[in-house]
Amino acid sequence: MTAGEISDDAVFSAFPAVLVDRDNIAHYRGILAGKLLINRCAACGYWVYPHRPLCPKCLSWDVHPAKISGRGKVFLFTLIHQVREPGGRLREPIVAAAVELVEQSGLRYLARIVNCPSERIIPDMPVRLTWIESENSVRMPAFEPQPVREG
Amino acid sequence: MARNPLRDQPAVVGVGSTPHGRDLQRTALSLGLEAALKAIEDAGIDRQEIDGLCGSGMDTLAMGGAGFLSLQGALGIEKTTWVKNGWLGSCFVYAAEAVFSGLCDMALVVQSYTRDVLMSRSAASDPFRLRAAQKKMGDGLFAQDDFARRWLHSGEPYAGWMGRYMHDFGAGKDVFGLMAVNNRSHGVRNSNACQRTPITLEDYHASRMIWAPMQMLDMDVPVDCAEAFIITTSERARDLRRKPVLVDAMSLGGTRVGEFYENTLGWTENAFWVCLEGLWARSQFKVEDVDLFYPYDGYTIDAIATTEAAGFCKPGEAEDLFKSSWDARSNILRLNGGRTLVTTHGGGLSQGRAGGANFYSEAVRQLRGNEGDRQIAGAKTALVCIGSFFHDPSAVMLRAA
Repeated sequence: MTAGEISDDAVFSAFPAVLVDRDNIAHYRGILAGKLLINRCAACGYWVYPHRPLCPKCLSWDVHPAKISGRGKVFLFTLIHQVREPGGRLREPIVAAAVELVEQSGLRYLARIVNCPSERIIPDMPVRLTWIESENSVRMPAFEPQPVREG
Repeated sequence: MARNPLRDQPAVVGVGSTPHGRDLQRTALSLGLEAALKAIEDAGIDRQEIDGLCGSGMDTLAMGGAGFLSLQGALGIEKTTWVKNGWLGSCFVYAAEAVFSGLCDMALVVQSYTRDVLMSRSAASDPFRLRAAQKKMGDGLFAQDDFARRWLHSGEPYAGWMGRYMHDFGAGKDVFGLMAVNNRSHGVRNSNACQRTPITLEDYHASRMIWAPMQMLDMDVPVDCAEAFIITTSERARDLRRKPVLVDAMSLGGTRVGEFYENTLGWTENAFWVCLEGLWARSQFKVEDVDLFYPYDGYTIDAIATTEAAGFCKPGEAEDLFKSSWDARSNILRLNGGRTLVTTHGGGLSQGRAGGANFYSEAVRQLRGNEGDRQIAGAKTALVCIGSFFHDPSAVMLRAA
């Protein structure tokens, strides 16, 4: 299914806990279509994230969602052993990482790091986009180590 | 007299307004950004000169709206030394005091309002508005499951006050109706007003009953809109392209009522009276000197309260004042023996609900003299009174430089 065929209602019901609005709905529609989309300014090429309708560099309103390469580096990360609710201790810690995307300095997307033992995660390690199953059966973006090229 | 060291120091040098519309299909942030860019353009400054920012909302995060945390990055403003969120009348006062105190030199105020799901049936069926409301109300402040908590930050006590006012002063409802007709008559002439169909006093009385005795035409019109202002020092203002509008005096007003509005004090003890008393203790002007009067009209009773609290007449005498001040040819009020026009843009009742922010921008444009065919000739002073009986009231005396 392409993103264009997914209705607003489908997005609202797939993400009941998210403040879906007119500035970010294209991003969530993209996730349902298996694409990670980030807003980009058509006038100057700047990537605009969080999702906003105005380019903070050149003040153009000509901002549209665009597909990213999916490559980046870990900038910050933490191992979540316990969630905010009292008693919310997790059996296995999960990694929350701010991944700096190669498209632009400072352009970061928060996601899980998977397919990697947590002790091997270090700042600036190269990662690439992958998709994981989530509780409500929506496949969500995550990152995994980039394979080291042989040879 | 009270101290007033800020007299003529803060100056408004830019204003920006978006369209006021019933369904603009935009986020509060998007509207706020448009108003901000227009105000920056109007002032003729570079956005990096802005070092103070007051966003929209009641709390620091103001999630999902046009709060300062979202606005600064979205506008690409690199550094600020003063930030805050605010609403109603107080947002303007906060920014002016920040400039006067030296915490910043160029403050941008952005006030964004959207028609939310508690305000109309069509809004309640819009999935975007529904989702925004669910996320905003997560803290349960507005939960109405306990009837005794129903008047926590509620509009209903204003309806109660309409009835009490009529009982205590022997007033009819014409006093409210005349304010509604005045605002509509001005709104008809404002191309950016949401409601532009003329109304009569009969139309007012025939409007749908909402919270008796409050009727539909006593209530401001929910719209999607944003307003922005730029406030700097009068010294800096001299180098800018617009004729500045100076702050002569201003006051906020607090009482001991708190957030349970059934604890309301007497008619002449509510926050507007405290606020106006604070203003007149600081201003060099008197009520007779006011050329333009901008009483907030979230409900018509607000405008009646500020009219009386400002001293245009004694408590309970607004009906007599309005009837003797009525210009039947134009269907508008002319107070102070004819010199004072009221709510020249149509207010919340006709232009649309901007939390009073459009009163400030209208006052500034009129005092600068660039309202085109709506310009009131010779307007030199404007009194802006925005807010609630219970919180965030402001009285701001503005004058042309």
